[in-house]
Amino acid sequence: MKSAAKNHILVPRPTQRRFYGHGIPGVELERLAGKLIVVEGADGSGRSTQIAKLVQWLEATGHATAQVGLKRSTLVSEELEQAQEGNILSRTTLSLFYATDFADQVENLILPALKAGFIVLADRYIYTLMARDIVRGMDEAWLKNLYGIALEPDAVFYLNVPPEELVQRTFAKNATLDYWESGMDLGLSRDMFDSFMTYQTAMQKTFRSMQTTYGFTIVDGMRSADAINADLQKKISAVLAGK
Amino acid sequence: MKSFAELNFPGRLIAVEGLDGSGKSTQIYLLKRWLELQQLKVYFSEWNSSELVKSATSKGKKRELLTPTTFSLIHATDFADRYERHLVPLLRAGYIVLCDRYIFTAFARDVVRGCPPEWVRGLYNFAALPDLTFFFRSDLEVSLKRILDGRPQLKYFEAGMDLRLSSDPYESFRIFQGRILEQYLAMSTEFNFLVVDANQVVEKQQAVVRELVTQRLRLQDFRRAERPPSKPPAEPRKKNLEEASAL
Repeated sequence: MKSAAKNHILVPRPTQRRFYGHGIPGVELERLAGKLIVVEGADGSGRSTQIAKLVQWLEATGHATAQVGLKRSTLVSEELEQAQEGNILSRTTLSLFYATDFADQVENLILPALKAGFIVLADRYIYTLMARDIVRGMDEAWLKNLYGIALEPDAVFYLNVPPEELVQRTFAKNATLDYWESGMDLGLSRDMFDSFMTYQTAMQKTFRSMQTTYGFTIVDGMRSADAINADLQKKISAVLAGK
Repeated sequence: MKSFAELNFPGRLIAVEGLDGSGKSTQIYLLKRWLELQQLKVYFSEWNSSELVKSATSKGKKRELLTPTTFSLIHATDFADRYERHLVPLLRAGYIVLCDRYIFTAFARDVVRGCPPEWVRGLYNFAALPDLTFFFRSDLEVSLKRILDGRPQLKYFEAGMDLRLSSDPYESFRIFQGRILEQYLAMSTEFNFLVVDANQVVEKQQAVVRELVTQRLRLQDFRRAERPPSKPPAEPRKKNLEEASAL
């Protein structure tokens, strides 16, 4: 806050950019001046609260921001929604459909925003998509190739909240558990509560196993929203300073 | 990658590939009719035809929203949907499945559009190879003429206009399809394409196709089961509607 008082606005330091794999044709990585910050976590882990707070803080400190999330592309979001409601697509198809949605947002939102020097906040990224598929037994090498189109973010925060607490938070808001977030398509249990617990535990385990490969910061999501945000701000400040 | 026969599927998959306007759709239609009239179990599937994905693809194409990457992914989605819901179950049930275009279309087109070849091949590595792949090799001028005879204008993506090769659609078509042809030819040996000279008249090509299919498949293995004697024998065509409603 001291620097803001002096009207000094930190200009983010450029860093070397990379795609995870083969990338997207025709992208000039060195022109992507902005920063890409990802917030991952289950439904109820506090992602949207944290992102809203980060936007407020970033704008207050003079940075332009853009927000992206899953299933928000112009190209396929409606169709994806329909497909999910009917639960008619098989696994590979659904994966590729999600990847299409993701790619469309990368090309039409993330890359242009980064080129314009924005701080892009992503409400989930390829990790959720990959973890969901890994839990469903899909080939990891296939997924890795598929999501080789993704840009490596500047920081990834995983909000860690145990399934017992996720259930409580979900019920406090909705009084029902989501079909997909409970992994009901997996046939783990006819009992939705049991299925939710088993599925979310498996998702957490998968995230932890992905942590070393993708280097996310695991954030304790059991603290107060402000305490978590202070933690994120500190880490993001370091990223902006090029550390 | 293995073919369906190598994976011990009872069914067989026959794919046709070729440039737009090579006449491959006419050929596979005639092949389908020939097989059906022999009372064989046949199913036909066309590239980019899965209902759900189609709406997104046509929206994308109409609004020119597609980039090489999303173009590639949306076609892979369409393929996966047809593959998992139709092709595989039917092949398990001992059908001859005919595909108007298969993964090679993506291998050729997406690479010409600039997608990394290893990435594209990786996307499709869940799919088994066809048991027979016919490649209809036509000259560019022949293809162009066939398309223009059918309709007055070239379609935007078919002419590769998204690649900005030329502002003239005809010139763009020649360059784009020429590059696709190169890709096909480069794959020809690797994937055992059966190359058919598509500059010939329809009948001559069909004779070649039928001959090769007869040589390579034991057609009697794909015969429809005889109907149980309690039901009256179905007359071909016409009566189909009544039958369906009676069921």
